[in-house]
Amino acid sequence: MRILLAEDDPLLGDGLRAGLRQAGFQVDWVRDGQAAEREMRAHPYAAAVLDLGLPRLDGMQVLSQVRHAGVRLPVLILTARDAIPDRIKGLDAGADDYIVKPIDLDELAARLRALVRRAHGQADERLHVGEVVLDPASRSVHRQGQPIGLSPREFDLLQALMLNADRVLSREQLEQQLYSWGQEVDSNAVEFHVHNLRKKLGAPFIQTVRGIGYMVSRPAAGTPC
Amino acid sequence: MLRRPSSVQAQLLASLLAAVVLVWSVATAVTWRDASHELEELLDSHLAQAAALLVAQQAHGLEHDDSSMDAPTLHRYAPRVAFQVWHEGQLALRSSNAPTEPMVPLVRSAAGQAAPVSPRHTGALDTALSTVDIAGTAWRVFTALGAESDVQVIVGEQLASRQAIGLAMLRGMLWPLALSLPLLAALVWWAVHRGLAPLRTLSQQLAVRPPHDTTAVTMPGAQPPAEMAPLVDALNGLLDRIKDMVASERRFTADAAHELRTPIAGIRAQAQVALAETDAEERRHALLATLAGCDRASHLVEQLLTLSRLEAGNAPPMQRLDLSALTRQVAASVVPMALARRQNWSLDADQASWIMGNPALVSALLRNLLDNAMRYSPDGAEVAVTLAPAGDQVQLTVEDSGPGLSDDELGRLGQRFFRVLGSGQPGSGLGWSIVQRIAAAHDAQIRAGRSSRLGGLQVSVRWPAA
Repeated sequence: MRILLAEDDPLLGDGLRAGLRQAGFQVDWVRDGQAAEREMRAHPYAAAVLDLGLPRLDGMQVLSQVRHAGVRLPVLILTARDAIPDRIKGLDAGADDYIVKPIDLDELAARLRALVRRAHGQADERLHVGEVVLDPASRSVHRQGQPIGLSPREFDLLQALMLNADRVLSREQLEQQLYSWGQEVDSNAVEFHVHNLRKKLGAPFIQTVRGIGYMVSRPAAGTPC
Repeated sequence: MLRRPSSVQAQLLASLLAAVVLVWSVATAVTWRDASHELEELLDSHLAQAAALLVAQQAHGLEHDDSSMDAPTLHRYAPRVAFQVWHEGQLALRSSNAPTEPMVPLVRSAAGQAAPVSPRHTGALDTALSTVDIAGTAWRVFTALGAESDVQVIVGEQLASRQAIGLAMLRGMLWPLALSLPLLAALVWWAVHRGLAPLRTLSQQLAVRPPHDTTAVTMPGAQPPAEMAPLVDALNGLLDRIKDMVASERRFTADAAHELRTPIAGIRAQAQVALAETDAEERRHALLATLAGCDRASHLVEQLLTLSRLEAGNAPPMQRLDLSALTRQVAASVVPMALARRQNWSLDADQASWIMGNPALVSALLRNLLDNAMRYSPDGAEVAVTLAPAGDQVQLTVEDSGPGLSDDELGRLGQRFFRVLGSGQPGSGLGWSIVQRIAAAHDAQIRAGRSSRLGGLQVSVRWPAA
């Protein structure tokens, strides 16, 4: 999952990026409000962590501007401002969660996963499509109760597809989910990972929509799987 | 030694009563003196008249009477009044309390002519008046001679009786004063007590006021009395200033706590990353970052303490010090970091420049200025520190070839925790506030603007030379 981190403090930003990477996120780190606003509009992030006291453009303004522009990604505000009016203002401006510094990295990761899950209309933390169950917290995948070993890239790709079950994702969209800035993207990396996933999960699980991209589909209701 | 606080009520009471007693006493004294004089004259004239009457009576037919006849006592004052009628050296008539000896020496005339003058003929009453001592008692005596000089009439009155009248008069005047004084005191006490009631109300109101309550003091009922309005106004002015100060302190505490949260969050995140990291290089990076975070947090705490000590308003102890030596000393501690950033620093502070200052505070000011120049100038920038006399002042100038500050940013300098943005430098945002406070404590003027020589930020501080 690729997320945007907007934090101007070098030490905290560096720590959050490292910690969220450990938790399996792809992290893009921006240090000022204008960059945060630009990136949120430009890329389909799974979620964003937004500091309020940002240079150039205050986090609150960033939030209201992107919300005004119709950007719907889940936004978690991470700030030192703990007054109740600040929290209310933040949530009213369109934030999905509001956390006061300092924060436990595991909790931050869990909250981000919860935000992403809710944004996709799920109640369960785990993703179910057919016989395949994906657990974002433990980064594990099971098929018919049997654990399947996946590489981190394969896991991210599968998670993106399962989160958007019954929707077609283009190769570009998938690439953006898999790689943060500065990471070299192989031109046929997506095809390569899809190939490997099909070998591990069974060929029909990921469908190719010719000329558009890939999708996983839920079995039709009532149909035995 | 403890002194009892003076009481307005007691003072008013004492001075009012003292004034009353004084005025009354003076009035009494004047009246008594005048009245005594009048009384003296009146009684003397009575003596004279009584003597004249006796002389007249004697002329008409007491010649043949028994000489030892006593006049009856008719009045309770009579024992104090006595008379003698002498005829040819013999006592012809006397009152019962009169002695048988002449009360005054009898007038004897060799020629048989009357020597003293009859009052009726001369009117020289005084010459016939005298004060004599008879058997230990002071008498006022009037002597008259009959038409025939062989008759002498002596009328006397005890002086004590006159004094008794005088004293009675005095008593009559002083008694009402003595009686009315307590009454007056009570009345004055009540009036003053009543007049001071608003003051008591005010002090009761202040006594029960909780310390955080800085709302304006209001007098119950209507307006405070005219005499108290300035006090109430001054009190409310003070409360307003206290309110502002408390609000500013509270803001500062809140800001400071918030500012500490970020480095602590950073430390926590880095420590957690280090704990979970399996890659040795990554773990080392996270641990180093944790340490850097601790240094930053303690630097922030240090700056906060400096600022709070400055804001406590205690005048720091001053001494004469050489600004150039101090500048060289502080620069020496900053320059290694500047060199590491390949910055080109020049220091022109050879001439000793004496100012009055607190060494620790002046060092803190210099460190903040030079540190800022080092941090906020890019790698390879040029920084010039100059110390030069300017009239009766000493001017320290720090300028750099960095990006400088926009007018908007210059205006916001000195706001607590304002950081120049996009610099990527982890400042506390307190440095400029500290520089300003220290400069103010030393009567130094401080100015920030654009350097005409190097194009970046220029900060100049002018100290009064010592």
